[in-house]
Amino acid sequence: MKTRIAAVGDIHLGEDVRGRFRARLEGIEERADILLIAGDLTRHGTVQEGRVVADELRGLPIPVVTVLGNHDYHSDAEEEISGLLRDAGVTVLDDNSTVVDGHSTLGIVGGKGFGGGFAGKCASEFGEPETKAFVRHTKEIAERWRVGLKELQADHKVVLSHYSPVKDTLDGEPPEIYPFLGSYLLAEAVDAEGADLILHGHAHLGSEKGMTPGGIRVRNVALPVLGRAYAVYCLDGCDPDEE
Amino acid sequence: MSAEAPQYVAARVQRALAEDERTHELGIRVDVRGDQLFLRGQVSCEGRRETLAGVAHEAAPELKVRNELTVVEIRDPREEESL
Repeated sequence: MKTRIAAVGDIHLGEDVRGRFRARLEGIEERADILLIAGDLTRHGTVQEGRVVADELRGLPIPVVTVLGNHDYHSDAEEEISGLLRDAGVTVLDDNSTVVDGHSTLGIVGGKGFGGGFAGKCASEFGEPETKAFVRHTKEIAERWRVGLKELQADHKVVLSHYSPVKDTLDGEPPEIYPFLGSYLLAEAVDAEGADLILHGHAHLGSEKGMTPGGIRVRNVALPVLGRAYAVYCLDGCDPDEE
Repeated sequence: MSAEAPQYVAARVQRALAEDERTHELGIRVDVRGDQLFLRGQVSCEGRRETLAGVAHEAAPELKVRNELTVVEIRDPREEESL
């Protein structure tokens, strides 16, 4: 059975734009079965902004699953922001998984991800402790996603990230900053266990469509990349005339 | 001492836009040409566009800020992609 996934990232909400995002979600239940948000919900990562996000997402007629992004960590309030979102009925993934029942079961594994760069042009776990900690953080995340995918029982599997697993969807960003935009270790972990789709944000100047070396579709759903309130991806095909 | 190279001025402004608690905007392109400072990129509302120009001006008060930032246009989600 088909599953329609609405997805967007980098919504960067705050008091100055309160109400605008919610207005754009009007009627989403007619277009999609679930909304996935690829992190950077806030701009400064404050609790006040977290409250705006929770208010904008509360009571939507379809399930909402999100991860946090680097902006959401900036004020060291990520736990409190996650708590506000969960109280509003939003599922927040932090290197774990969830299964949503609909026409078919949809399993989602995810977290914010991290950087490091792409095969052949990336940081290694070598040298100063700061460098090793940076690379190890990504490795540990990738391993948790791999295990999460392996254990996930669902008709469809989607990975939700903030950072990018591939270079394809960074096209448009300066190549010098690719190591801060994502890591191939994330794609490698997903390719090892298989998934139907990987969604990410973070790269505002990137492009929407890419794929992993293993052929899994990758979509950069950062709001400035999409230029629309959210994208809709149909797994198992969608017939526009079908209701 | 020679005048500060424009590359350093641009880098200082870009860092201010990312690190200043009023903005925290990454991915804004900053270029210095003569006595002009160009800001390019997309932001989500007019207020943020103005705040960025203000922070840029504080970081390089000797330059004329050319605010070429645009407010991102959000269309309705019409099309679907079948995977």
